[in-house]
Amino acid sequence: MYATADMLLTSPAPAAPKQSHETAIEVVLVRAVLEGDRDGFARLYDLYAPLVHGILLARVPRAEVDDLVQDIFFHAFKKLHTLRESSSFGPWIAMIARNRAVDFHRRSRETVAINDELCGSNTQDSRATEILELIRNLPEAYRETLVLRLVEGMTGPEIAARTGLTAASVRVNLHRGMKLLREQLGFMEGL
Amino acid sequence: MNDDYLWDKTGEPDPQVQELEEILGTLRYQPRPLQIPENLPLPRRRNYFPYVAIAAGVLLAILAGGIWLSTRSRGNEPQRQAAVTPPAPVKDVTPSVPKTPERKDESREEVVAVHKHRPKVSTPVLSKREREEALMAKEQVMIALRLTTEKLSLVHKKTQNTNPANQIKNQHRVG
Repeated sequence: MYATADMLLTSPAPAAPKQSHETAIEVVLVRAVLEGDRDGFARLYDLYAPLVHGILLARVPRAEVDDLVQDIFFHAFKKLHTLRESSSFGPWIAMIARNRAVDFHRRSRETVAINDELCGSNTQDSRATEILELIRNLPEAYRETLVLRLVEGMTGPEIAARTGLTAASVRVNLHRGMKLLREQLGFMEGL
Repeated sequence: MNDDYLWDKTGEPDPQVQELEEILGTLRYQPRPLQIPENLPLPRRRNYFPYVAIAAGVLLAILAGGIWLSTRSRGNEPQRQAAVTPPAPVKDVTPSVPKTPERKDESREEVVAVHKHRPKVSTPVLSKREREEALMAKEQVMIALRLTTEKLSLVHKKTQNTNPANQIKNQHRVG
């Protein structure tokens, strides 16, 4: 028996202080970079690379993800002065990553499908690739949240803080996405 | 079983979620150094303050100049008006003098003379013959004007009657 969406929505979010602390760090770092501190951007990269990696992994082939992460941070570095709110760095770079994934599919539709099948070198890896494929077939709202939680190991409050989504929607997405994934996995094992 | 473990990894662990974490953890982000060229210029937030300040300064200078000019011209106007008070003889003389084209020019000069603060205006006295000639000339001008008016009205009527198509076109355009 699982919690209903209503139960999830009314539960308190215990990680609120951590969220504000992270936001404060990102504000300080963004300001430092804009004042000429190049190392500040390296720290922003360390903080947000897993988020960008997860967003891309939910959308594009694994083989392309690492290069795209680099591209996105390079682009973000050049365009950082256009960011109006320093506290919105997470949602901003998440949006860049989503847009870049869309661009990737627009540019290379024919070469996408086969790449992930080549990646599975051992059984654990191939099993991971299969499950990732199942997650990618879930509705868009669930796949990103599930990848960030199950692949990148982020907690729900962390996902909310970094993507700019509300904690309630992240919790609902996690719950419903996990439910759908369990159904899919049961269906797969039944075969 | 509740969803706390899925939400924030607290509470009773969900074995299925744990298994998925273990399997999918192999795909997790592996830290790689960020490669940004050293020669790439640092992003700087554009500071528009100097440009705005310059623009505001120029605007203020223009406004101040405009206000100064307007107050200056207003300050001069009353003096001119006071000096312009037309002298009595001018009013008396101008209606009695018959107006010929040459006289018009003279009267303009008189007005200018008034603005130039010349109170005394010389009033030419015409002899009887000159006055008759002037009246004749006036009559001729009046006849010429009447003729011209008649001709113009005739032309106007002709143009209106001969081109009904144009009227329709114009109506279409208006409509």
